[in-house]
Amino acid sequence: MNWKLLPWFGLAVRLGLAAVWLYAGASKVGDLAASGRAVHAYQVLPYDVSVVVGAVLPFVELALGVLLLLGLATRLVAGVSGALLVVFIAGIVSAWSRGLAIDCGCFGTGGQLPAGQSPSYFPEVLRDLGFLALAGFLLIWPRTAVSVDGALTGEPVEDEDE
Amino acid sequence: MSSRKGRKDAARVVREHLARERRRKRTLWISIGAVAVLVVAGLIGWSALSSQGSREFTAPPGATGDGTGIVVGNGPVTIDIYEDYLCPACKQFEQTSGATIDKLINDGKVRVVYHPVAYLNRFSSTEYSTRASAASGCAAEGGEFHAFGKALFDKQPPENSAGLSNDELIDIGAEVGLNRDSFGACVRDGKFKPWTAHVSEEATRAKVTGTPTVLVNGQQVREWTPENITAAVEAAGR
Repeated sequence: MNWKLLPWFGLAVRLGLAAVWLYAGASKVGDLAASGRAVHAYQVLPYDVSVVVGAVLPFVELALGVLLLLGLATRLVAGVSGALLVVFIAGIVSAWSRGLAIDCGCFGTGGQLPAGQSPSYFPEVLRDLGFLALAGFLLIWPRTAVSVDGALTGEPVEDEDE
Repeated sequence: MSSRKGRKDAARVVREHLARERRRKRTLWISIGAVAVLVVAGLIGWSALSSQGSREFTAPPGATGDGTGIVVGNGPVTIDIYEDYLCPACKQFEQTSGATIDKLINDGKVRVVYHPVAYLNRFSSTEYSTRASAASGCAAEGGEFHAFGKALFDKQPPENSAGLSNDELIDIGAEVGLNRDSFGACVRDGKFKPWTAHVSEEATRAKVTGTPTVLVNGQQVREWTPENITAAVEAAGR
């Protein structure tokens, strides 16, 4: 692999994950009550907690998206993204194993599916695993091209040559 | 020569050390900044939630004691029906099972509690689900809840549209015999919007996550065909 290209590949990964978070947040932020219902549909949290999670989550997703777009604290943001995705995947798998028939609510909608419509847990989990891979990449190689991190801290010292 | 090279090396080590230290500090501040951004984002969500919480509502006449639905009929078996006026599956439910439910009501076998929830506000540009549900509260005030609800499903607008306007809702109300002035004022003022929020909130709390949801004496009828509903009512009445 050409190591000179790594920061540019990293940039693509970073912007990809940023797009995921921005879209996920934007699709929920307009109807916080529905977001809370989607969380409650997992039947994991008590109602009042579900409602708070449903209201807080879209804004945190948007913030993660903006931070990734800027490339600010990329490693930390990738870590938080990965942790959130692990929670989401666990939620979907748990709903799956309990035989609930819900939409994951990943990008808006959410809640119980109409009768006759079967849930698509497998693709949802696969998709989230893909996003998790993006976060994992940035966790290992957080230094990407065109980032605020790079502008603020400069090139790594080790690469400097007299 | 060698001592000069040694001094140069030492100076470089110190320089690198200082540079590393500076970078470490900057990275720390960047991390603190990013965490602050995430915390503030969460707090915005929290405050958006608490600013819309704890509304005072007035339930329309004919509502249950806890204000979560409108009662039609007075039979011994209770059917709870959770519907959103924008939900296509609810329209389908009304078309396939509406007549059966009306018959059960007229035969005095069931007491139906309609919960007009607003779950699908994001599927119209004008919060049609909330406006339609609040209008059904106005219809209950005028004594025509059941007829108005049926008319709303007959004239259901498609999802991802603007929905029906308030004027169109008022026209439908007038057609089913509601007083155009008092009903119109009630719809325009959104008098029962806080009630709609209460109905939706309590339905979510009761783990109703989709529409339509049909319960016969508290037991969900998943495949809501006329046969299944009749069978569930007979089983519950035994």
